[in-house]
Amino acid sequence: MAVIEIHDLTKRFGALTAIDHLSFEVEGGSVVGFLGPNGAGKTTTLRTLLGLVAPAQGSAKICGRLYQELPDPLHRVGAVLEASSPYPGRTARNHLRVQALAGQMPDSRIEEVLDLVDLIPAADRRVGEFSLGMRQRLGLATALLCDPEILILDEPANGLDPEGVRWLRDLLRGLADEGRTVLVSSHILAEVAQTVDSVIILDRGHLVTHDTLDELTARVQHKLRIRTPQAEQLQRLLIAQGATALVVTPDRLEVTRSSAERVGLLAAEHAIPIFETTTDGVGLEDVFFQLTEAAESKENAR
Amino acid sequence: MTRLVRIEWLKLRTMRVGFGVLATSAALTTLFASLEASRAGSNGQNAVAPLFTASGLSTVTTVTGWSMILAAVLGVIVTSGEYRHYTATLTYLATPDRRRVLAAKTLTAAGAGAVFGLVSGLIATAVGLIFVAAHGYHVALGTGTLVAHVAGAVVGAAIFGAIGAGIGALFRSQLAGVIGVFVWALVIESIIGGLFTSVRPYLPYTAATTLAGIKLGGAAFGPAHDVAGGGPLPFAAAAALLIGVAALLEAIASRTTVRQDVT
Repeated sequence: MAVIEIHDLTKRFGALTAIDHLSFEVEGGSVVGFLGPNGAGKTTTLRTLLGLVAPAQGSAKICGRLYQELPDPLHRVGAVLEASSPYPGRTARNHLRVQALAGQMPDSRIEEVLDLVDLIPAADRRVGEFSLGMRQRLGLATALLCDPEILILDEPANGLDPEGVRWLRDLLRGLADEGRTVLVSSHILAEVAQTVDSVIILDRGHLVTHDTLDELTARVQHKLRIRTPQAEQLQRLLIAQGATALVVTPDRLEVTRSSAERVGLLAAEHAIPIFETTTDGVGLEDVFFQLTEAAESKENAR
Repeated sequence: MTRLVRIEWLKLRTMRVGFGVLATSAALTTLFASLEASRAGSNGQNAVAPLFTASGLSTVTTVTGWSMILAAVLGVIVTSGEYRHYTATLTYLATPDRRRVLAAKTLTAAGAGAVFGLVSGLIATAVGLIFVAAHGYHVALGTGTLVAHVAGAVVGAAIFGAIGAGIGALFRSQLAGVIGVFVWALVIESIIGGLFTSVRPYLPYTAATTLAGIKLGGAAFGPAHDVAGGGPLPFAAAAALLIGVAALLEAIASRTTVRQDVT
């Protein structure tokens, strides 16, 4: 069952269309990466979902309701958003006291979440003295304070050191194992790749794709590197077959839109010796860039 | 609503700036009350009557205007601070009904303003009585009058706190709101009050100061100070006028707060 439903969502800021007829759904209990380059419209989408930004058109609902209509919203949804912060002059513990009062949670829960994010030693320091990473941890503590079933995290890895990123990954895995729904945005696919079940990729306010990671990887062409003394002859044959082939040095070819098997058979048929064939593993970042660049080209062609 | 006010009160108690503004209000009240008491009975321009007269003593015990201005400043901080420090997102995630949040902030600012007025009223009264005692005069004002002055300061500062909350929510800019409060109270009202004495009782800051027993124009700065003409509004009318101003600001701010995106 979908717990997050974005339907035909459009948001404009003056002449800029930040989100353009965006639609997608997030199933309950899944961990979904919400990806796109900076300026893709991720934060605007999340803010619209949380009732902070009014859409020009369409709707963004959680459990079938607008965020503003949710009873006890802090118990349903925990959120960490960019450009939001606890008051810098307040201590972390006092910040959580305010939030606990808002969510009607006992003070004992404050200690639990401080412990969860490793902030107990800094709990009585003012937030203004915190590093960006510590603020992110406090943001997560705030989001988890009322034990919500849905988490919406906007670039939670920003400011975290590699150890912090690993900690975040473990935390998200733990939350997923508890059956919570997590929508986590990032502009770096690798940050979330090990945690998410599926990804939604956004570019310039448009949905580029909503796939599982396996489906995503399978959609992208692999690159073959071939070493042969007859590179130009093989290139001509491959192009005639519909592949894309580029001679990079007199004895080396780069081939896409084909496979090692097809290249091998074609070379054997024409008695062309092949000394080496390697297949480049396509990284997730390559997938991400290929998809967003393709979306950009399509947009420019309009 | 009670919980929302408790949340806002907790926020205020855990911010140093609130105590700083209160301390500033107390310090300015002490300073100006002492200055007025020191020059009581002297001759010259803007002379203050001797402290053994009711007029002279009340000039000192009603130096509570700063508490009203600073209560409004605190009100501005309570609402605009959410935007200045990007905390509005967390506030509206916890309570998506922005009208109720604004109402709770307004009530909190009014409560804090009442504290400002009380502290200021007590300080001004204490300064006046200390100077009277030091000179060996008898106290020319009755207890009822002194209490009424303090109560007026409490009411005036409370409503000014609410007005400040409306201004802060309307403009969202803390700096513009704070400057606006000072410029309005100390410059614009002084100019308008000096030029048009008939409208002077209806000017918000002037009306608030008359609630606390300050004579009409007594809190004005510059040439408008002590300009003769007209009389203050009755207490209830002045209070109703100020509540009307606060309610109007609240209504306008409520509309803009609901409509504007929190980005």
